[in-house]
Amino acid sequence: MPVVLTVDPRSGVPIYLQVIEQVKRSVALGVLAAGEQLPTVKQLALDLTINPNTVAKAYRELERDGVIETAPGRGSFVKSNGVAETSRAAAADVARAAIESAVREAKSIGLSADDIRKIAATAVDRWFVEEA
Amino acid sequence: MSTIRINHLKKTYGPFVAVDDLSIDVPEGSVFGLLGPNGAGKTTTFKCMLGLAFPQEGSIEYGGRPLSTEVLARIAYVPEKTVLYEWMTVAEHVEMQRRAYKDFNTARARELLAQFSIDPRKKARNLSKGMKTATMVALAIARTADVLILDEPTSGLDPINQRHVLNLIINESARGATVIFSSHQVGQVERAAEHIAVVDHGRIVLQGAVDDLKADRKIVEGIFPSESYSLDGIASDGRIARVDATGRIVRLLATDGAGEFVNRLEALGASGVRVVDLNLEDIFLYAVSPKEATADVVAEGSK
Repeated sequence: MPVVLTVDPRSGVPIYLQVIEQVKRSVALGVLAAGEQLPTVKQLALDLTINPNTVAKAYRELERDGVIETAPGRGSFVKSNGVAETSRAAAADVARAAIESAVREAKSIGLSADDIRKIAATAVDRWFVEEA
Repeated sequence: MSTIRINHLKKTYGPFVAVDDLSIDVPEGSVFGLLGPNGAGKTTTFKCMLGLAFPQEGSIEYGGRPLSTEVLARIAYVPEKTVLYEWMTVAEHVEMQRRAYKDFNTARARELLAQFSIDPRKKARNLSKGMKTATMVALAIARTADVLILDEPTSGLDPINQRHVLNLIINESARGATVIFSSHQVGQVERAAEHIAVVDHGRIVLQGAVDDLKADRKIVEGIFPSESYSLDGIASDGRIARVDATGRIVRLLATDGAGEFVNRLEALGASGVRVVDLNLEDIFLYAVSPKEATADVVAEGSK
């Protein structure tokens, strides 16, 4: 398994959510390829020194989200059919979380919805300049 | 089979109430962390679980059965104070365990001792405090027990061996054993435990799944335009465990529904409203710190 997941148990974000987020990010970035096997629940729990049921919970949610599939007795794999959608969906999840947190921050320091939309539009224009 | 259920446990020593109305459930194969300040009642709870102390009230069941010789044979215990015989070598302790317990795995004990770099030829009196703890842990794990009760199983260990003990706990759980352990180091409990209870003055002040506690309990912070503001009943909402008010800044500890309180603070005119995540240490400290002082500040802040 080439993917090295790391979790920060001392963060306020539940550990299983950290595992989900990192697996999705790895799929989105292509670090985890279609059909690639994930470590077993026990192995990942020992690698990260976290509770095995926490890993199992993360795997169950990843399965429900269509990112991985589990073959009984064989282990968990990155879903092979529709990798493109999976990885696009995973990328969208990662991006959504980042944008959500930026908007929340902007709102909390007192910007209006219009102010935030303007900032977002400017940022999109700047990063997609070649396509404009 | 090895689900642990403690019902309304009460243990007093003379006038001193060590444990009061303590109830916890530990599902089979899970890891449960018991947190609490010194003298909170953790060790007394463990002693009651092992029949080493007799509670005045309440019951303890393992897989629906009360403690018996048969049940006790399936429980491995690491006490807070190690009980090694000073004049005996580590190897002699291993031999003693082998004779006492029919499922004792001698090869596993030797392997674990080697992992902790403990020389079995050493007499217990020549082991450091940490090495004594590690020896007790190795002997307990080698029992291949259904239930492990570990009282401060990382005390005195260096960070590498602490991590090793946590991995042994995780491995035991993955094997199907039920583990309940206490630790002063909240960060360790945060890693290894699925469920926790915080005990203070013999009572449980907080209990739940670590992930749920983190997902639900948030600080909602806002800044009001002036020092005189109204919280419009927020302080008395059952989901607000605590309110800290300092000048124009108010901090709410929400046990649920943080998003709703963000909206309510904003509706009351607060700006810069944000949600702050809490780690288990924060949650623990909030659970055991006195609230009386806070109540006064609230009354003042919300006038």
